This record gives sequence, structure tokens and C-alpha cells, in this order.
Amino acid sequence: MKNLTKDFGSKRVLTGVDLKVHEGEIIGYIGPNGAGKSTTVKIMLGLIDDYFGDVSIFGQDIANGDSTYKRRIGYVPETADLYENLTAKEYITFIGELYGIEPEIVEQKAKKMVQLFGIEDVYHSRISSFSKGMKQKVLIISSLIHNPDLLFLDEPLSGLDANSVMVVKEILAKLAADGKTIFYSSHIMEVVEKISHRIILLADGKLVADGSFEELREKNMEGSLEEIFNQLTGFDKHKAIAEEFVSVVQRDVT
Amino acid sequence: MHDFKTLRILDSFQSLFLKFGINYPVMRKILQLKLTMDRRRVPTVFNDFGKKKEDDSNQFIKSLWVYGLIGLILIPFLFITDSYIFSISIFFGILMFILMTSMISDFSQVLLDIRDKNILSSKPVDKRTINAAKIVHISIYMFLLTFTITAIPLIVSLFARGILFFLLLLGQIILVDLLIVVATALLYLLILRFFDGEKLKDIINYVQILLSASIVIGYQVVIRSFGIVDLDIIFDPVWWHIVIPPIWYGALFELLFGGNMSEYFILFSVLACVLPFVSIFIYIKSIPAFERNLEKLTNQSSSKKKGFSPISRWLAKTVCATREERTFYQFARTMMKNERQFKLKVYPSFGFSIIFPFLIILTELGTRSLEEIGQGRTYFSIYLSTLMISTIILMLRYSEYAKGAWIYKAIPIKDTGAIYKGTLKAFMIHLYLPMFTIMSILLMLIFSTNIIWDIIVVWFSSSIHVIICFKMVNGGRMFFAERFEMAQQQDGWLIFASFLPLVGLFGIHFGLSFIDYGTIIYGGILIIINFILWKKVF
Repeated sequence: MKNLTKDFGSKRVLTGVDLKVHEGEIIGYIGPNGAGKSTTVKIMLGLIDDYFGDVSIFGQDIANGDSTYKRRIGYVPETADLYENLTAKEYITFIGELYGIEPEIVEQKAKKMVQLFGIEDVYHSRISSFSKGMKQKVLIISSLIHNPDLLFLDEPLSGLDANSVMVVKEILAKLAADGKTIFYSSHIMEVVEKISHRIILLADGKLVADGSFEELREKNMEGSLEEIFNQLTGFDKHKAIAEEFVSVVQRDVT
Repeated sequence: MHDFKTLRILDSFQSLFLKFGINYPVMRKILQLKLTMDRRRVPTVFNDFGKKKEDDSNQFIKSLWVYGLIGLILIPFLFITDSYIFSISIFFGILMFILMTSMISDFSQVLLDIRDKNILSSKPVDKRTINAAKIVHISIYMFLLTFTITAIPLIVSLFARGILFFLLLLGQIILVDLLIVVATALLYLLILRFFDGEKLKDIINYVQILLSASIVIGYQVVIRSFGIVDLDIIFDPVWWHIVIPPIWYGALFELLFGGNMSEYFILFSVLACVLPFVSIFIYIKSIPAFERNLEKLTNQSSSKKKGFSPISRWLAKTVCATREERTFYQFARTMMKNERQFKLKVYPSFGFSIIFPFLIILTELGTRSLEEIGQGRTYFSIYLSTLMISTIILMLRYSEYAKGAWIYKAIPIKDTGAIYKGTLKAFMIHLYLPMFTIMSILLMLIFSTNIIWDIIVVWFSSSIHVIICFKMVNGGRMFFAERFEMAQQQDGWLIFASFLPLVGLFGIHFGLSFIDYGTIIYGGILIIINFILWKKVF
């Protein structure tokens, strides 16, 4: 990704982002709300196509109109967008077929994956009746069903219970070890700190930090990723804000 | 998932789609999915699970038979033989009128839908295929609709006019269908191209109003193009007839069966046959632009600081008795203002409401002068525009974001009546009143200000009608609490039934207007009834 710039109307959301990613990396992609994380991911997925700069994935410029590179990409969006009046089975099969896999193979794989995630008893129910965690599991399965080489995960653990979180984290580590590249966006710093090989911090549409957790720690002061994050984004008022917030909460309402 | 017959028919056109660079197997898959989803309805927040049986049947198809009945009015035109240009133009005029209206109000949202962009576009599917799926999805329904309307007339034509006539008619009907779907899409493309973000959303709604109005006017123009002299129908083709598509189709019949070789008829016939294909070609070329511009609908242009103006605050305070009521008044107002799907469904009926009363006056202009009309009672046609109340109150039940309706249950609301009252008042003040005012001013220009009492009576009748509709059509269900997909066709009957009390109100008003002071006294009674109803009903 070279000099990526994107405007929404007159507002610039990305300014000259340069990024090179290698195989087998888990990249923790972090930044404050509105920093441009989702926009970058959407550009790479071809959901947004009027940007400036060059974006190449698997050595192919994605602006050339050929969408076949998406066959090797899996995506878990932040908002759980699903066709909710389909059953889990119908949805996963559909997605698998869009990725060009034979329906029988998708069904076989999906059945096994559903079982492993413990949602096999709702496999034939409509997604609209699912809990948040169940929906998230369907999203994760459908992002992996075609064995992609590159994964974009946006808050993939949201809504999952503690046990499932452990399973998914383990899955990600295993996939990375097998040479898959994972773009992991999240606001939960503890998780990012633990699973990422490399951390990229975006703020105001600019790349602010790029390196392993250890490298970031060397450059900045000691502490957790959360503290580094606060420091790099120039934020140190959390206590004052919290105090004032509570005082507003407790103000008389009648 | 079900394998649909329609898709199997579509399979025979596979090579055509492939030629246009559309990935047919993928498009078929998407269509199969969409058709499956059309058959299912999402349960609402308030429906307990398992309470309603999950019914797997398409509501749209269930409602089609009504259109079959409408189609019967087309039959007489097949028997007018001495002037093909007249009979066939009217035939297509009516057909296109029905198809265009349903295209604008029912299928616009499918065309402008971007909700599943995240799901589909992140997969290896190109834009052209996604868009083709959209167009074909709409076309399937349009063809079904057309088929039900024209099936019986077509069979009649086969026996009455012979196989050639039948085949030509069938071919033309298919062409008209294609033309309507693609022309609407092209129109939206044009608008999407020139406008941006927030403004675009508003413009689309205005375009809908304009379109529905122009369909009605266009239909009138078709009829008026024919002068009836001594029961003989005379038609003189003029250059501006070129903008009226139904006449093109009439011209082709006139040319082939009537043997009328005038230059205009040849030109119109060529247009009838060629234009649908030209527009399809242009559309396919511009699909990528269409999809890209659709994105503008999601763009949030920087949020303006929007608050309620002092006037609207004052208004809310005056019309709403309690604070709770006021809260829901403001809530409903913002919902109606911001919900795109609601506007897409409701605004076309605005267009019709404004046009219909004046159509009646326009018709009268054929026999009388404007001054003579001004002496008469045609202003009662304003009652026609009150018909939209039923539809809109029904639509108030739905919301794209119906999931948010849990707040009704989670928040301690003392008086649920306040929810209803506030919402209905918001509808009356912010949607109905502006239209009503415009209508009244226009009518007063024609009929002088003497009709002001009548207009006041109509306003209070409308207000009573709002409550009747709410009871009949809505049946005490929560507002903005069901998804639009839940809209059921039997509601159509309820709306129809809710017109009856309105006819009664109109009848009393009309009758009393012949008595001195009748209108004024009636107005007074209506105000009292209003006062009681708004207090007691909720």
C-alpha cells in the first residue's frame, strides 16, 4: 500500500498511508474511533474504490477491476451484517459458493466447523433468532470457509463467551503459523498486545506507529499497550473526564 | 433452498447475460437467495417466538390477483377496431401507469438498496453482476405483475384478433416492461450522478413526487391527444407526441394493422422497438458508475448541528398536552424526516394527492371556463387528497430500524396513549399540514376565499379520519416497530375499507353545504367531536 489517501467529501480521512505486509503476520491494527481503520480495510476489500494512491494485494493492483483476488481474502465486518432471514446453513453455503466452492464441499466443512463451535443445534434455524455470539460464530465460519490467505477481522471476538474467545485466539495463532496473514482490528488492547506480531497504530488518518510490541515499548515508555496507545494518541485526561462524567450523571434530573 | 421456476426460465437466457459480462452462475445464486428471503418475514420485536407460524410464501404473489382484476379494464380497448392508435395507446397508457407506479413506490428501494454491500462486495463478485442481480430481481416481479394484468386481455386478443395481433401485443408488452425497469434505473443514475450525500436523499424523494405526478398528467395527455368529434376518434400526430411512450406502441399497431403509413407513425414505431434495447445497452455500460454513485447514499456529509427551531418547539408545546406526548411528537417527527424507506414509500402518494383534485378541475375545463368552475363546487375534490392519510398511517408502523423498538418496552412510559397521540400529531403537522396548505391556497385562488370554511371543515374531518384510520388500519400497534418486509397485502383491504368513513364525512359536508350556515355549524360540531375523540380514544 503506497501513499494511500482518501477523502470523504471535503474531509480527508487518510493521508499518505504507506504499509507493507508479509505472509504469516498477525497485525494488530489499532487506533482511536474515526482514525480511518475501517476505511483502509474497506479499500483493500474493494468496497470503496475512489481513493488516491496504489494498493496491491498478492502482487496485483486491486484497481484493475479484476475481483478474483478476493477469493483469497476472508472478512469479518465490525457490524454483524448478515442476511438474517436465512438459516446458518443457507447463509454459509451461499457465501462459500460466492467464493467459488462446490456446495457439497462447503456443507461438509461448515457442518464440522459448526459442530466445533458448538452451534450445531441452531444450524438449521434462522439467524435472526441468534444471540450476538452465535451470529459472530457464523461470521467467523463464513470468513474462513474458503481457506483464505489473508484475513481482515474487525472486532472478531465481540459477543463471544470467554471459552470461545480462547478457541478463536488459538485458531488465529495456528493460522498465522501456517503462513496466513491476519489483519486484526480491535479496541481491546490486551488481546491485541498478546496475539499480534506487529502493531500498527493509526490516528487522524496517519500512520503513527509501526512495529512489534517490544519495539513500541522501547521507543516509548514502559507499560501496557493501552498506555502506549494513550501516549501516542496524546491522551492523558481519562481520569478527569471520568470524574466530570460521573458528576454529570449524578446531577438532578427532576 | 428452493429452486425457483422463474430461475429455470431465466437459465435459457444464460448466454445473453454472459455476453454482457455478467457472471451468470453467481447472479443466479444471489437471485435464488433474494427470492428465498422474499418468502420469509423477519419476526418483530414484539412477536413472541413460535407464536406465529413461520410462513414460507411470497406475500407479493398472494396479492397479485387484485391486479388480475384491474387487467380486466383493458379488455374493451381490444375491441375498438377503427382506430388502433387510440385503443392501443390507451391500453398501454393504463398498463404503463400501473407498472410505473409500482416500480416507483415498491421497487425503488430494491434498486437503491446498499445494505448488503458489505456482504456481497467483499466477495469475489464484480459490481456488474451484483447490479444485474438487482435489476433481474425487480424484473422478475415486474414481469409477474405485468403477466397477471395482461394474461386475460392477451387471451381475449388471441381469440378476438388472431394470432398475429396476439404475438405483437405480447412482444410489445415485454418491451414496455424492459423499458420501464431500465428507464427508471437510468433516471436514478442521472440523479445520483449530479447530487451528493444528504441532498441526494432529499432529491430522490422529490423526484418520486414529481414522477408520480407526471405519470398522472402523462396519462391525461394521452387521453387528451384524441379529439372525439361526432363519436369518431381523431388523432393528429404532432411532434410532441414523441415524449409519450404509450403512443409509440399504438403507432406500431396503426402501422401494421391499420396500414397508416404516416411518417410520424413510422418514427414512433421505430422508437417503440429500438428504445428499450438502447436503454438496456446504455444501462449496462453505466452499471459501475451507478454502483459507485450509490455509495453517496451512505456518505455522511459532516453532521450539521440540527436542533428544533423555536417555532417548532412552540408548536410542539401547543399541540401536545403532556411532556411524554411532546417527546414522542419530536421523536416521530425526526423518524419521518430521516427514514429513507419510509419516505420512498410515502412520498409518491403525496404526488398523487396533490395532483388528483386538480385533475378533476382539469377535466371540467374541457366543458367550462375557469370562472364558471370557480362558481361551482369542484373544490370538494380536496377530499381526494385526504385518501393518503390511510396509507401513511399504515406506513408509520414500519421502520428500517424496527429493532430499536425495544425502548418502548424498556422505558417506563406512564401513558401509552401519549406515544400514539404524539406520533399522529407529528404526522398531521409535519407531513399533512404542509401539503394541505398548498392545496388550500391553490384552491382558494380558483374558488375565492369564500371556501375557507369548507377547508376548515375538511381539516377537522381529516383529523377525525386520522383517528379512525389509526383504529382501523393500525389497530393499536406500536409505531416504527416492524420492518418494512412485514408489510402485508391484506392491509390493502384495510386501507380500502378505511376510505368508507371518509366518504361518509364527505357526504355530510357536501349535503350541508347547500344549507345556509350549514358548513359553519358542521365545522363547530366537528371541532367538538375532535376534542372528545383526541381525549378519549387513546
